[in-house]
This record gives sequence, structure tokens and C-alpha cells, in this order.
Amino acid sequence: MAGVERRPRLASVVTVLFFAWLYAPIVAVVVFSFNSIRSLSTFGGVSTRWYASFFHDDSLIRSLLASIAIATVSAVGALVLGTMLALGLERISSRTGRAVGAVTLLPLVTPEIVTGVAALLFFHGLGLKLSLLTVTLAEITFSIAYVTVIVRGRLAAMSPEVEEAARDLGCTPWQAVRLVTLPTLVPALVGAGLLVFALVFDDFVLAFFTTGVDPQPLPVRIYSSIRFGVSPAINAVGTVVLAFSALLIVLALVAPRLLRRGGAGGLDLITGGERS
Amino acid sequence: MTIPPPTAQTPLHRRPAVPGQPGEARSPGPESAVRLRGLTKTFGGQTVVDALDLEIGRGEFFSLLGPSGCGKTTTLRMIAGFSDPTAGTIEVGGEDVTSVPPHRRDVNTVFQSYALFDHLDVRRNVGFGLRRKGIDRGEADRRVAEALELVQLADRARDRPAQLSGGQRQRVALARAIVNRPQLLLLDEPLAALDLKLRRAMQLELKAIQREVGITFLFVTHDQDEAMSMSDRIAIMHDGLIEQCGTPEDVYENPTSVFAAGFIGTSNLMPGTYRAGRVHVCDGLAVPVSGEGLVDGESVSVAVRPEKIWLSELTDAMVRVPGRVAASSYHGATTQYLVDVAPGVTLTVLEQNLPRMRPEDRWTKGAQVELGWLPEHGVVLR
Repeated sequence: MAGVERRPRLASVVTVLFFAWLYAPIVAVVVFSFNSIRSLSTFGGVSTRWYASFFHDDSLIRSLLASIAIATVSAVGALVLGTMLALGLERISSRTGRAVGAVTLLPLVTPEIVTGVAALLFFHGLGLKLSLLTVTLAEITFSIAYVTVIVRGRLAAMSPEVEEAARDLGCTPWQAVRLVTLPTLVPALVGAGLLVFALVFDDFVLAFFTTGVDPQPLPVRIYSSIRFGVSPAINAVGTVVLAFSALLIVLALVAPRLLRRGGAGGLDLITGGERS
Repeated sequence: MTIPPPTAQTPLHRRPAVPGQPGEARSPGPESAVRLRGLTKTFGGQTVVDALDLEIGRGEFFSLLGPSGCGKTTTLRMIAGFSDPTAGTIEVGGEDVTSVPPHRRDVNTVFQSYALFDHLDVRRNVGFGLRRKGIDRGEADRRVAEALELVQLADRARDRPAQLSGGQRQRVALARAIVNRPQLLLLDEPLAALDLKLRRAMQLELKAIQREVGITFLFVTHDQDEAMSMSDRIAIMHDGLIEQCGTPEDVYENPTSVFAAGFIGTSNLMPGTYRAGRVHVCDGLAVPVSGEGLVDGESVSVAVRPEKIWLSELTDAMVRVPGRVAASSYHGATTQYLVDVAPGVTLTVLEQNLPRMRPEDRWTKGAQVELGWLPEHGVVLR
């Protein structure tokens, strides 16, 4: 019968193969993290022993916590500095301003290995002992560019009249930024913060060059441990990290909605909860 | 050039504040809401606003009308405090505010882009200025509700700006400004982004709101219809200078410059040389004018509005010129004719299509006609 639409079979097959290629290794990691035997190739039954060994390994736990701490501090630090830079650059229209704006983008294209070596030499030159502090400083420096790019994008879409309107309605220049510009930027700030967190959390190169001995950031710690043979506990660590990242993404999607509801609640407080 | 304060024609007896708010009436001060003296702004050697003197009375609806780049928006921004004058002073309500920052001026602005705060709902947008001023909550709530009532948005109080139409956003911007009951409200082409029909409706509404709240409005526009239909007085601005200032009727009927005559409505301009009571436009066309203050040999123009020219029922009191119809176009309520009166001189004539007129009463191309206008309708411009 004519008129029956044929499915593009080849395209479907290619698509399925593509996703299999992309996700099979990750699925393998998750599946083998529940393996009851030590093998990385045969599945001997379901067990949580590798999770137990991970949660009993103080050094691994400390690395995980260290990575979360580095990522959190870096996200906050990069947000503050990057937003300030974006606000400043947006107000400079001179040629120098534009040149500075271009220079801020350099970290995005500089090979990370170069940044890592440079940071190591810099800290060494200063006589700074390598530690979580040096990792965090390096990560913040590297992440500012991301925040600046995202925030400037949002600022460019915002009419300069909005800030003027705030000043017209009684705000000092600082109040205008605090009460109008920053709240308007919230979606961009949330996005930039989560991006920096995700980038820093699993960053290996920069962390490898700038970290001290103990505790090491999780990616560096995993790398060191597999040099002495791969333990299936690594699969458990990978799965935990994966779940954590997934949680972050869900948060990023849900947060704006929660914030909006929070805003309406704030209005209730201001207006005494009276509804018309 | 000094613009005198409004005369008896401008109603100044309006209520000073929102109805039911007599307590808000300001202490009796000078009668002007704003006074500009020698206000000048130069950008990189270019003078955008040139020694402007202007006085606007309390409760007046005043329009600054001019083409883009004439300096009207710059003037507005200096009054709001966003731009520092190069020279001159600004007084609002009798107080010199030239060096007062925007947040401490008793002036509010309705921006062209509306500039609403997207992260706040309509109520908090409108109440923003009151919160900054520290007005107590109950009073602020009441005034916000009142302002939303005034702009007919009481039912959208909880919506975000993004959920509103262009016209509604415009009303929120207006409510957000007038709720503060400033001495002076600045409006920067607030209707420019609306479509024609909505714009017409908003013009009427804006005028009605201004009457009701009695706040002085300084309205900036390039749209002469808008300025004509709403304003108590209009100042026509051109190249940083005020060309003419007066009531809409005054600037339309008695333009004082070629620019003013051309910018408001259309005018037939006939340039020529004045000699003995006539302006000699060219060979065979000498228009009699009242030669008051004119010197023989002076180069002047005679301006006549198209609708002031008659094609029939001419009287002896009229200036009469023979001509030939070069083109005619039917516009429903009116018919427009282009009439050649001399080589190179074509006048536009606008004739009402009156009920008693039949289609065959309209002139056709090539018809020999006689044009006539009353001498007072031929305005001499230097």
C-alpha cells in the first residue's frame, strides 16, 4: 500500500549505536560497581561491598570532601570576581575596555596544561606550599572567564534604562546594582555557578599541578590509585560522583522555579499577605 | 530666547494631587514646576542642547517636540539627573537641583523601553519607589492599589512584566512613576513602541490620567499628532534650540519659523522677496501680505496651510491666485489637489468632501481653478 510512511531505518540504527558508544562505558561502571567479585569483566552477582570499601576508605572520603570544598569555594569566588568584572566591563565603552574584555577570554583558549605549569611555577616562585588553597586559587583564576562570559551575555540583553529606572525611583548607584541589576542576573548567576562547580569538581590537569600531598582532589586521588592496579572500588566512586552530578543538574533545573515561588512569598511578607 | 510662563490659557487650577489626597498638596511655592536657565550640553565639541531657557507651569501637560537628534531626550535626561549639563541650571519646584543626583530629585521618568524590573511582579514594580522612600506599608499598599486602579491593571497585580502585553507594560511603567506623586513626570516617547490604534487610545488615556492626578507632565515626542492632541503647550525643538513654544493651536496657526511651519502639519511655503506689501515669489505671482515689520527687499517665505485654501465660494476679502490642477487624490473625508500657480510653484490644497458634494463636483486634472485664502492665513516667515 502506498502512503505508509517508512521509518528512516538506517538513521535509527546509527542513532542507537551512537548512544550505545557514548553511554555503554558509563553503564558498565555503574553495573560493575555492584559486582560481588573483584573482576572488571565478569559479573558475579549483586553486592555493595565496593561501596562499603569506598566509605570505609578515609583517604578517598577526604578526597571527595576536598573536591566538593574546592568546587564550592571556587564557584563562589569566581562568581563574585567574574560578576564584578562583567559589571565593570559593561560600563567601559573605551577601546581599552574592549581590549581588557578580550583578554579576559584568554583562559578559555589557553591549553590547560600551560595554565597548570604556569600556576605551579607561580606558586613555587612565591614560596607558597602546595595545598588545597593553591588548587582553589588556581581554579578560581581559571573559572572567572566562564562567569564573565555568561554574565556579560545577560547584561547585554538588559536595557541600561533598567538601572536608570532604579535610580530614578530612589536608589543610590550601589542600591540599583543590589536591588535591580543583581536580582535580574540571578538565572545567569545560578547557571554560571553550577557550571564552574561542575568544571572544577572533576578538573584533573590544573588540580594535578597545584595540589599538595594530602588530601588530594578526587580526580587526582583516583589517578594515583589506579597506578597501583585498578580496584572495583573506583567504580563505586565513579557512580557516587555521577549521582552527585545528576543531582546538581536536577537542582539547576528546579532552582529557578523554587526561587520564583520564594519571590512571591517575599511579596507576601512585604504586603502583609493581603490578597486582592 | 525666553519662553514665558503659561498665561491665562493654561489651566493651573487643577487639583494638586490624587483625589482624596489633599494632605499631599505641596506648600505654596513658585508657580513653575520646572525652570531651565541656559541649559547647555555638549558632547565632544558638539552642542546638543544650546542655552535652553524654559519654564513649565504646575499641572501643565508640556511637550518637547522635535525630530530625532534635536536634543529633546538629552534635555529630559539632564532634568532627570542622568546626564550632567555642561552649563546652566535646572530648578524643580523652585529648588535648584542641577547637582542633585537622580535618586534625590522629586522627578520620575517613564522610559521608552518601560524598563520594568523583570524579577518583581507588577505590585512590587509599582511600589518600588515608595519602599525606597520609606513610606509605611499600609499607606504604600493603598497607593499602589490606587495607581493600579488608575491604569486599569488592578487584576494583574501579581503578574510578572513578562506576562503582560506591550500596552499593559506601558501602563505599569506609568503607574510606577505617578504613584510617587513627583513634582514633575518625564515621559520619553512612552508610546513609540505601541501600534497605531493602541497609541491613539493611550493618548486619550494619558491625558485623562494627567488631568486626574494633576502632576506636571513633560512629554518628549517626535510625533506631532501626539503632541497636538495631548498638550497644553508645545515647544518645537530643532538643533538644540527651541524654535517655537505655545499652545497647539498657536504653534499650528501662527508658526514663527520655516522649520516650525514644516514640522507641525504641512505648509505651502512660497519663498520670495518682500516689496511694497507683497511677497514676490516669481514672475506673475506676488502674494499680498500684511507687511508689519518687514523691510523692502527682505527675503521671506509665505506659508499657507493646505486646508485654508479655498477652491470655490471665494470672497473679495481673499488673496486670489489662478492655477491649474496638476493632480488630485481622494482621501475619503478630504480630497487633496496639487495646483500649479506659476512655473515651479505648486500648492497643495485640501478640500473637505462635504455631504452636499457629488463626485462630479471634484476638480479633475487639468481644470483651470482659482485659489483663495484669507490674508491672515498667509503667514510670513523670515
